[in-house]
Amino acid sequence: MASIKMSMAIAAASLGALVAVTGAARAQAACEPAKVAEKYPSLAGKTIKVGADPQTPPYVMRDKANFDKVVGVDADLARAVFDCAGLKTEFVLGGWSGLLPAVMAGQIDVMWDNLYYKPARAKTVDFVLYMKAGTGALVPAGNPKKVSAIEDFCGKTVAFGLGSVEEQATKKQDEACKAGGKDPVTMMPFQDLAAGMRQLESGRSDILLWDLGFADATVKDAPEKYARAFAIISGFTMGAATAKGNADLIEAIDDGLKVLQAKGEQAAIFKKYGVDPSLEVAAEVKRD
Amino acid sequence: MTIGIALRVAATFVAASAFMAVAAWAQAPATTAGQSLFADDAPVAPEQHWIWEFFSYAASEFLWSGAWTAVKITALAMTIGLVLGLGLALMRLSNLFAVRALAWFYIWIVRGTPQLLQLVFIYDALPYIGLKFDSFTTAVIGFSLNQAAFSAEIIRGGILSVNKAQSTAATALGMGPVLTLRRIVLPQAMRAILPGVGNDTISMLKLTSIASIIFVNELTFKAQQIVGQNFKFFTVFAAAGLIYLILTSAISIAQGWAEARFDLERERRPRGETLRRMFGFRLNEKPSEATPPASAAIPGTAEPAAPGDDVFRSLATSAGGTAQRGEPFVVCRNIQKSYGGRVVLNGIDMTVARGEVVVLLGPSGSGKSTFLRAINHLEPVDWGEITVDGAHVGYERGPGGGLRPTGRLAKARADARIGMVFQHFNLFNHLSALENVIEAPVRVFGMKPDAARELGLRLLAEVGLARHADHLPHRLSGGQQQRVAIARALAISPKLMLFDEPTSALDPELVGEVLQVMRKLADAGMTMIVVTHEIRFAREVADRVVFMDEGVVVEQGPPSDVIDNPSQERTKRFLRVVERSETAS
Repeated sequence: MASIKMSMAIAAASLGALVAVTGAARAQAACEPAKVAEKYPSLAGKTIKVGADPQTPPYVMRDKANFDKVVGVDADLARAVFDCAGLKTEFVLGGWSGLLPAVMAGQIDVMWDNLYYKPARAKTVDFVLYMKAGTGALVPAGNPKKVSAIEDFCGKTVAFGLGSVEEQATKKQDEACKAGGKDPVTMMPFQDLAAGMRQLESGRSDILLWDLGFADATVKDAPEKYARAFAIISGFTMGAATAKGNADLIEAIDDGLKVLQAKGEQAAIFKKYGVDPSLEVAAEVKRD
Repeated sequence: MTIGIALRVAATFVAASAFMAVAAWAQAPATTAGQSLFADDAPVAPEQHWIWEFFSYAASEFLWSGAWTAVKITALAMTIGLVLGLGLALMRLSNLFAVRALAWFYIWIVRGTPQLLQLVFIYDALPYIGLKFDSFTTAVIGFSLNQAAFSAEIIRGGILSVNKAQSTAATALGMGPVLTLRRIVLPQAMRAILPGVGNDTISMLKLTSIASIIFVNELTFKAQQIVGQNFKFFTVFAAAGLIYLILTSAISIAQGWAEARFDLERERRPRGETLRRMFGFRLNEKPSEATPPASAAIPGTAEPAAPGDDVFRSLATSAGGTAQRGEPFVVCRNIQKSYGGRVVLNGIDMTVARGEVVVLLGPSGSGKSTFLRAINHLEPVDWGEITVDGAHVGYERGPGGGLRPTGRLAKARADARIGMVFQHFNLFNHLSALENVIEAPVRVFGMKPDAARELGLRLLAEVGLARHADHLPHRLSGGQQQRVAIARALAISPKLMLFDEPTSALDPELVGEVLQVMRKLADAGMTMIVVTHEIRFAREVADRVVFMDEGVVVEQGPPSDVIDNPSQERTKRFLRVVERSETAS
């Protein structure tokens, strides 16, 4: 009798434990905005300041219809992630180069805007990765200069962002052109993307080398004007960055991204802005 | 908010007409650019002409809110920057090396480093020491600190552009350094300061765009954001340019207005006069124009009607003091002073009795003017002591019995009530004759403005200038200016009047009117020390003539002795030269 009772008790206990385990697993895979104080105690009631530069389409930009609204892949992702955690967001908009210092100084909570993970950066900030980065070569529709690979840059004029990975790649190719006895690359670095686009528009540059997501979105928007000459998956990964020592915040971002990815919402956001969904990578926290 | 929108729309359309000319010129190339650029939007709004898009951007709340941010930052930072800049400018002009060096160092650092980096530093580095400012505050702080450095140099230049004689005159009237700066120097420095400040304001308004690095969303950054989204750079940037043009035009207009206000050459017109000239009518018209008083005195004819009305006499006799008429009033013992190695005063002993008129004669460089300035402590002395009415002016007895300068020199000068008249008149150029006269009575001696005006008008009438009370100095002849200067010196109810070559800068035909006023003052019983080369005046008016040369008194006595029958060879030689030049002229 006693043994039956005992076994009943054990069974009940193990059932309870099972329920608890599955419950916990489900908590991992669902948004629970009401439990914010429980899951991320240090963030409860806080408005997360998301730093971004609204001149970086398709990641962060102003809404065409309403300039007061900030949209884009990263903006939508950030909003969805913090909604999921039950946190309010506020976009703090500034020049891109000012974003990382502001995260480190604590002026903003997270930088979420076309930021590549680099080990050197991870020494000062923590990352949650979510997307593969690539470089796209944007050319006028019909590709009049017949560019199909970076080796075709010799003798051409190429525009790229100042201090970008595209700049490094172009400079490397320039060396290769010269070493091979070919014409050097004429380099046109620019400060902001719009200026680079004007270069291409006016024919001052033959090729615009920029982020792949942007190149694809642009071609999708205006196929009669632009074409993608080629793409390079650079091996870089993009992530949201926070200052060191924000365990709850990093966890909230990681949890949220995992939910969005599981539901296919991240892919949907990518598609919405013309970004290839295959660039998605499983959410991963990188602390160094 | 409604006003804001109305203002935006109005401003946009006012500027639109001006922009049309430019638009017409730009149309050909722009249309081509517009068509290719707006191809994205072709299905949405195919009929929209680029000019309408331009206007919709120029009136867009999104851009104007950015402009408003830029205006707020500029207004605040400019105000704070000018105040700090004034402080720095004064520090740069300080006599103390450490203070000068500190200001110089600040200006050196701030002017010498990029403002962009300063902003990033304030926004991103100061949080590490616990100073965390939001974007807007950071921008205001950053631009203020920067402006302080630049306006310090502009203001310093303005202060240096004001003739030193202006502050000397203010000092002689007992005005302290702060009062002198505020009432006399700065108003005149404004002419030199304003163009630079206008420039800086306009460039700051535009330069606020660099604050996008610290998350300030002002006009340029907002325009870039639209372009970053739709790449329609032509219409967006043209619209932003138009908004900037409207704002900077407002600044230029304000600058023009401020410059006109501080412009001395410009006629002072009564309120509404400009409108009247433009349109033939004026607002708030008063029944009668301000007319000169009927009893307006003509130079030289203003004779007091009765002794009771004689301002000069009442001034000369009412001035307080312990010394009675004829008793020693100014006592100088062994006055010595050198500039560098050059001895200017080499032991002067002199006593002037109350009511006495003493004329100092002597060649240039004999130390007469320096001696005069030592009496009211415009110049400190190296040795010796001077008492006026039994008191030192700005000196006190130290513990060892020696004299040392007191801290509150301006107050000491004011208390001594010594009026001074300068060779070059030194009237305050930005103030009318009457304002010149009443400045010290009101500001230093706390006289009621109405009473001061009344006294000022009486004094001006007494020197024959009642009709010129509202004229600025540059509208007056030299003789008239000097008479205003005498009235100004008399307005502080002086116990003693010092005249430093009052007629030397005048055309010969103007000398008489000034001497006549001085003669009248002497007749009224004022104690006077006069440095002059007017031998006739000395002979006729002076009770005593003192001949100085090379920092010492050579001889003194009644004019009949010193001028007509000098005992010293040096005196004779000097008088021969002066009389020869007088007959020649």
